[in-house]
Amino acid sequence: MASISDCSVYLPVWKLKREEIAKATGLPSMGGEKSVAHWDEDSITMAVEAARMLKGKFEAVFFASTSSPFKIKQSASFIASALDLDNAFTMDFSNSFRASTNALITANELVDSGKFKRVLVVAADCIPIKPGSLYEQIYGDGAVAIAVEKEGAAKIIGYNSSYQPLPGAWMLKDELISFDARLDAIFGYASSIQRSAMSLLGKLGMSPMDFDRIVASAPDPKSYEGLLKAVGAKPQEFFFKNVGILGTAHPMLLLASQLDRTGRILLGSYGEGADVIAIEINEPVQTNLGRMLESRKEISYGEYLYNKGLTANRDAPDRPSIAKLWREEKSVIRFYGMKCRKCGTISYPISRCCVECGAKDYFEEVKLGYRGKIYTFTIDYLVSPGNYIGDGAHPHCVAVVDLDGGGRVLFEVTDTLTDFKGIECDAEVERTFRLLFEKNNFRYYGWKVRLLR
Amino acid sequence: MEVAIIGCGVTKFGHHWDKDHDDLLVEAVYEALNDANLELKDIEAVWCGTFYPFTGISGNVFSDSLKFFGKPISRVENYCATGMDNVRNACFAVASGAYDIVMAAGVEKLMDAGSRGIPPIEGIFSIGMPVVSAPGMFAMAANRAFKEWGWKREDLALVAVKNHYNGARHPKAHFRREVTVEEVLKAPIVAYPLGVYDCSAVSDGAAAVVLTRPEIAKKLGCEYAVIKAIGMAVETMHPWHRPSESFLSFPATVKAAKMAYKMAEIEDPRKQLDFGIVHDCFTITELINYQDMQLCKMGEGAKLIREGVTAIDGDFPINPDGGLKSFGHPIAASGVRMIAELAKQVLGKAEGLQVKDAEAGFAHNLGGPYSVASVAIVTKP
Repeated sequence: MASISDCSVYLPVWKLKREEIAKATGLPSMGGEKSVAHWDEDSITMAVEAARMLKGKFEAVFFASTSSPFKIKQSASFIASALDLDNAFTMDFSNSFRASTNALITANELVDSGKFKRVLVVAADCIPIKPGSLYEQIYGDGAVAIAVEKEGAAKIIGYNSSYQPLPGAWMLKDELISFDARLDAIFGYASSIQRSAMSLLGKLGMSPMDFDRIVASAPDPKSYEGLLKAVGAKPQEFFFKNVGILGTAHPMLLLASQLDRTGRILLGSYGEGADVIAIEINEPVQTNLGRMLESRKEISYGEYLYNKGLTANRDAPDRPSIAKLWREEKSVIRFYGMKCRKCGTISYPISRCCVECGAKDYFEEVKLGYRGKIYTFTIDYLVSPGNYIGDGAHPHCVAVVDLDGGGRVLFEVTDTLTDFKGIECDAEVERTFRLLFEKNNFRYYGWKVRLLR
Repeated sequence: MEVAIIGCGVTKFGHHWDKDHDDLLVEAVYEALNDANLELKDIEAVWCGTFYPFTGISGNVFSDSLKFFGKPISRVENYCATGMDNVRNACFAVASGAYDIVMAAGVEKLMDAGSRGIPPIEGIFSIGMPVVSAPGMFAMAANRAFKEWGWKREDLALVAVKNHYNGARHPKAHFRREVTVEEVLKAPIVAYPLGVYDCSAVSDGAAAVVLTRPEIAKKLGCEYAVIKAIGMAVETMHPWHRPSESFLSFPATVKAAKMAYKMAEIEDPRKQLDFGIVHDCFTITELINYQDMQLCKMGEGAKLIREGVTAIDGDFPINPDGGLKSFGHPIAASGVRMIAELAKQVLGKAEGLQVKDAEAGFAHNLGGPYSVASVAIVTKP
């Protein structure tokens, strides 16, 4: 069996109060708030944001999501390139809320067998939910990345998986649907988790009493509490109040929340059956979960709809071809600049001649820093965020940033909505991986900056 | 170099919804020909500028408008400095003796794009780079100047007030209305810190000049002004990616000015020239231009406008015509119009806006994200 050696969480900074949704839709509020992606975030960008915090290289990248932006086009390979991995076995796990635990179990086997030394499992979801639907208050957006290697702080001691042909929630085209929450809660969730767990405990020769904590993602918070009461255990923090259910990233969020203290845990995930994994946390793993929860900004329902692309018209000018995107991948996605061997200037992007001295083909490629300082900026009302034609209400903030370690780059400043407090000359910013814009039925990604979180 | 300007034609600048680019070009070209007392067939070669392909491309933009066939015509495009680059190409062609009488013209039909601000240019920027509007590019210079030198929006407003004062008196300006500092400051923001009155307008227009050598001008009996020098420099289209860029000075202007001053043997423009026309696409641009054109030291641009030095009755009037602020900026037409304005001033024909004892002046045309600049010196013969 393999171990979990590191873990990182990414939650969008934006929080939508359920009260706001209730006011706008007329449905009763479920209380608290949920994390919502900025307009330029999706499961790919959040996966990169979570994963880039993990130090070191990976031999394989497993991406789990039910909301990959592309139906055909692998996300894991793209994430690997944004993480600047030289080569990696890349694989997408999809279509089920169990995708993340499926990926973790697969990673466990491949590391245990000695096939790979270190595997990245990254789960992200940003499920498109119809405004005014039941699920609008339930699902939030976020991502969790986990490093799996042979030895590490938290050892996987066993797992079991079972399937159950009861469709809990499904999406045929664009809308998340379920039949009856009660049927799902009793015969789907509770029975599936118990079935997988009992069989696992049998194999391990253990009883529920041998575990310190039990966490299991669920279609709703009550189902989780009900299950824990039924087995006589104390429910753990479920993060419904302040985050919402993060789709297939939710089991990983629950895992992340347990890693900061030692003990033996059971981790469950549900989706037409259940995966249950037994983990022994021998040393606490410090994650950024606390900081991610603390760093929050509120968003109104109107801005939330704008962010989801449901209001306002967005049209971007045509950009160079996909061939150019492929040629410039090293600069645009991996974010390399060049260091001139003649004058020493570090500049962006990579180009055959140095921007300061003109030296031809005499440079080395250098990876540019994540943080920097604003040299100058503007808040441009003729353009809307994402290069879209300005609507006069959502200005495009751009800044010339001197990156730590060299290199000066023009970036879009994101996560601002219409609040530009703190954006000034000399302000500190950090890079963040985002959707640049959507055009001609393609999504173009790259780096932006935001004020430090 | 000595090139004679013997004819100038400029349409009224503004929203010409009812005119096509060829209507405007015909109007400017025939006005210039009448001014020179020549016929179209006397023109041996043409340089015609258009910036946007939707205005027109190739030599055909001129040939098809005028039905002027069978002659050499080049289309010039060099960002917002297209106009003066046209004139520059035409100048060197007559100065070399290759042709005797040539024309430089520029036209732009911006209103046909129907957008707010100038229309975006599709496909030219790199994929990873965010789009910045024209005011956004110069707003970045303003924010840095505010930080470095403590300039304020009030300083920028003074530029708008001065140029609108002059433009209100020019029959061909787009906006013929004075503005107050308060109005300028209260106007909506376009790209922070630039507001509506800090920006030149989106306008349509055309301009044309007829050029020859002074001895031919004399033979023809034409009244003429002399282009003594014309410099030009091209820098980077991505100033935001060049670490040495200060955003407080535009190197293209500095270099083009040095070239022109050297050609015209000018050591101190404040003493040897009487006035100037600078590219005031935005109010901040005009203040930075003062410095780059060597009218004052770095950081002192705002002092010049505060002290009234550049007012029409000041020590060194700038933009006595009202500038782009009053005319708007039909891109390829602007630089050609600037040359026409210089000729009018040095010939004492700038009615109502005549700079006292104007014998020599400069014009400065700036383009792109400060990446292209051209500077011309025009004097009395």
